[in-house]
Amino acid sequence: MRDGAGSASLAPVADERTPRGRLATLAADHRARLYALPMVLAALAAVLLAIFESDFYRTANLHVVMQQISVLGLVTLGQLLVLLVGGIDLSVGAVMNASLIIIALFNRHTDHLAVSLVLSLALGAAVGLVNGLLVSWRDVPPFAATLGMLACIQGAILVYTKGVPAGEIPSSLRPVALSGIGIVPWSLVICAAVAAVLTFVLRRGTFGRKIYAVGRSPEVARRVAISTTNVRVAAYVMCGVFAAIAGIILSAYVGYVDPEIGGNYNLESIAAAVLGGVAFTGGEGSAAGAMTGVLFLLVLLNVVTLSSLNPFTQLIVQGAVMLVAVSVFQFLKKQPAN
Amino acid sequence: MFRINSRIGRRPRAVMLAGALAVVTAAVAVGTSAGARSAQPTIAFVSQGTSNSWAAQLDAVARATADQLGVKLVYYNGEGDATKQLPEIQTAIATHPDAMVLVPLGQAADTGPVERAMSSGIKVILCDSEVNTQNYTSLVNPNPATAAVPLAQWLAKKMHYQGNLLYVGGLPGNGTTILYDKGFYSVMKKYPKIHVVNAGNANYSISTAKQLAATAIASGKTFAGSWGVGGEAVTGILQAYADSKVRPIPPNAGAAATNGSLRLAIQNHVQAAMLQFPPADSKVCIETAAKAIKGQKVPKYINISTLKQYGDIFPPLQRYYKSQYSDDLYVGTDAVLTKSQLAAIHLTK
Repeated sequence: MRDGAGSASLAPVADERTPRGRLATLAADHRARLYALPMVLAALAAVLLAIFESDFYRTANLHVVMQQISVLGLVTLGQLLVLLVGGIDLSVGAVMNASLIIIALFNRHTDHLAVSLVLSLALGAAVGLVNGLLVSWRDVPPFAATLGMLACIQGAILVYTKGVPAGEIPSSLRPVALSGIGIVPWSLVICAAVAAVLTFVLRRGTFGRKIYAVGRSPEVARRVAISTTNVRVAAYVMCGVFAAIAGIILSAYVGYVDPEIGGNYNLESIAAAVLGGVAFTGGEGSAAGAMTGVLFLLVLLNVVTLSSLNPFTQLIVQGAVMLVAVSVFQFLKKQPAN
Repeated sequence: MFRINSRIGRRPRAVMLAGALAVVTAAVAVGTSAGARSAQPTIAFVSQGTSNSWAAQLDAVARATADQLGVKLVYYNGEGDATKQLPEIQTAIATHPDAMVLVPLGQAADTGPVERAMSSGIKVILCDSEVNTQNYTSLVNPNPATAAVPLAQWLAKKMHYQGNLLYVGGLPGNGTTILYDKGFYSVMKKYPKIHVVNAGNANYSISTAKQLAATAIASGKTFAGSWGVGGEAVTGILQAYADSKVRPIPPNAGAAATNGSLRLAIQNHVQAAMLQFPPADSKVCIETAAKAIKGQKVPKYINISTLKQYGDIFPPLQRYYKSQYSDDLYVGTDAVLTKSQLAAIHLTK
């Protein structure tokens, strides 16, 4: 009943016979065009790549890109949910790191893969739960809450491992990232499945509408009887779980106990989401957009590596292309719908 | 809240007095015991802080060496951050130890405190990194610039002085990275037929190194050799090759020798040569500090790389690999620590 009321008031069907309805239709068209922009850019990049960097389309290279997409994709999908409710999560990298440590420690002497996977996911959910409660109940700014959580997790890892994360990644986990269907690794299949479910939930599901509502205006959401706390907490929990899955996949990919793993995924996931049209202010963005942002970012990284440019020049190129892409997106966003 | 305050307010004055007396007595007792121990020389060890396996081994070796020498080691944790280490250095100086062994995290930031310590009569031993002054007692440091030269020379020879060389860098602007590169390029510029293919900087991260190396390998280029700045870069390169279908894996050089990089090279039949950046060199740092306290003359600079046990590592690698220890063990640490000390920092399997 509550959901129905909330949904009805939040997603009105545009009646084109009225001026208000026509305006709503125009705005929806504009948003659709806006979200299509990253995809158009990606398509343009694909054509340019075929002309200038044909090595990109080598089977082995596409396989490498797919492996990388699956990890960053999962983290970015989690970050998308948090950004949609007007938050941010800076603890995703630490959750990924903790997942690797759990897997390495539990499989040090004997194979306890299943237990370690469940524990990793539980840890991701618990971290998300605490983040969500801090943000919703205690009104701690998301930046501070998740940054504090990042420090807590890293500190806990150091206390437990004393800086030496002994153990090893079990060989039974590695096919998740290294094998698959043809050149498509299983990890990408998992990521694509999560993205598809999320797309459906955000577009068609009641929960999706609630997420957008809370992100756009928590006050209005509360008035239509949506529990902003529940929605925010759910978004953070899912973000934590997705980060844990990404950590498991990255562990499988690297195949070595890397104590620094996951560190750069905090900013990369935010960058990919923003490139894909997700707004920092909440309530704006889509799973398809976020995945396109991931694709764009990783293709860019891949191409500058293939180009064998000087690493310092690589950084300038990456930064400049990202700035141009975000600027164009913001410019188009500000254009009137007509 | 109010209830607690009112309860405190009603505490008898006698209890508070007794408490104050207890504090004063404890302080006197601590002072007396400190005075009683003052005959034992004190070394303030301002470490990088236990932030990774290298630092954990550095600290464990320093503690074990101090115990063996009978000197008191007061530990200050830099938490792997130059800004957090700075107040620790200042606290250490304020306690006026006989000597300070500093693992500098901030080359410029630590310069002032080092000069202040020297002017107040504290012997300063710089361990593993430099600061921007010559005003210190001794510098104990591997020299990656000179130590990288024989490795690069070995690699060039293995490549028959031609072909593509896959390079994965360290951390841009980092002092050690700059020195590694200096030694590497001083050799490679002599061989114009060797084409260095720069895959990017791994920032001392295994996963980043693996992603960069995997991309370079997947590009279809044939590499006659590979070079990684630091153990993380080399581990990433070897993992990327191991997971690819490219065989044989070309020769590799550049790592800071760990049990893990040795294992990967041996398991995948890779000819590899490695540089040592040994955490066990804190033994030399503490020993130098102890000598300086006794008034013995110590060298201004001790180049660890020239010591036999810390020299470059060339095949056969089986001589250095220890299967009973974990991948994190740096070559040489097991020669200084006992099995129980190694187990305490998770280095035994």
